[in-house]
Amino acid sequence: MLDAIQFASFAEFLDMGGYAFNVWSVYAIFAIFITANLILPMRKKQKIIRQLKRRMAVDAEIQSESDET
Amino acid sequence: MWLWFSKLGSPKWFYELSGRWLPWLTAAMIIFMTIGLVWGLLFLPPDYQQGFTSRILIVHVAVAGTSLAFFPLMFVAGTITLVWKMKLADMVAKNAAILGAWFSFVTLATGSLWGSVMWGTWWEWTDSRLVSMLFQLFLLIGVISLRSALEDSETAAKACALLSIVGCINVVIIKYSVEWWNTLHQASSPISTDSSSPNGPEFWIATLIMIVAVYLFLSVSLILATRNEILERERRSQWVRDLVLKS
Repeated sequence: MLDAIQFASFAEFLDMGGYAFNVWSVYAIFAIFITANLILPMRKKQKIIRQLKRRMAVDAEIQSESDET
Repeated sequence: MWLWFSKLGSPKWFYELSGRWLPWLTAAMIIFMTIGLVWGLLFLPPDYQQGFTSRILIVHVAVAGTSLAFFPLMFVAGTITLVWKMKLADMVAKNAAILGAWFSFVTLATGSLWGSVMWGTWWEWTDSRLVSMLFQLFLLIGVISLRSALEDSETAAKACALLSIVGCINVVIIKYSVEWWNTLHQASSPISTDSSSPNGPEFWIATLIMIVAVYLFLSVSLILATRNEILERERRSQWVRDLVLKS
């Protein structure tokens, strides 16, 4: 199976038959596109949960204060 | 049937169901993406004319083909929103527009990077495929700005549903542009079972794997964004409060 690898060395792999800039730019854009659209919504979810937690804590505090008076 | 339909429209029900699907979809996405990228980058033989730039095409074709799914999806979601007043469909449509704009942009960028070496030009205004794809990007940006201008009112849903009809017609134009007007962009090559052919199984199976991987990515990303939207819109409901307390 390893025989089917198209490159004899790592340098040759990086060179992509002389089209290094175009091929690697495409794969870089693709990688950014995929990770950004997975990581950003996941981070947004954590942010939403943090905000909701804070709001609920504030609500609970107000509630307990009004109970005391 | 109607019970099932109204259940499907319930954000809470969708949140729970998609939560169960997500790990499987993500695992499948990682598997297909890994196979596709390793095959594409290491094993794909160089094309007799294009050399190693054929490695660009498996990514470009997969993203471009998938980008055509957004307007039909938004049209269906828009119709469901307007006819059955289903909030969930509107949330899907909203996030689909944003993701679709990303897809269209990546299609244009990767296509340009291929064209700059193989056609000798980054952009060609007279080519119908290129221009109709750019039009799709602008339409999606239009939908996004329309939504942010009109907030989530019924007017916004109506205007976006209308724009997605235009978008669907444009999808047909993008699809057949290479056959109707024969300019720069080549038509899709017929697949061949002969491995000595330039479009033999080594090439199209790699492309097919990337298409599956990109569709899985589309579902995972769209589900993640829709779930966030649900949490924000339903933040006052008891089930979201319980969920926040548990996390």
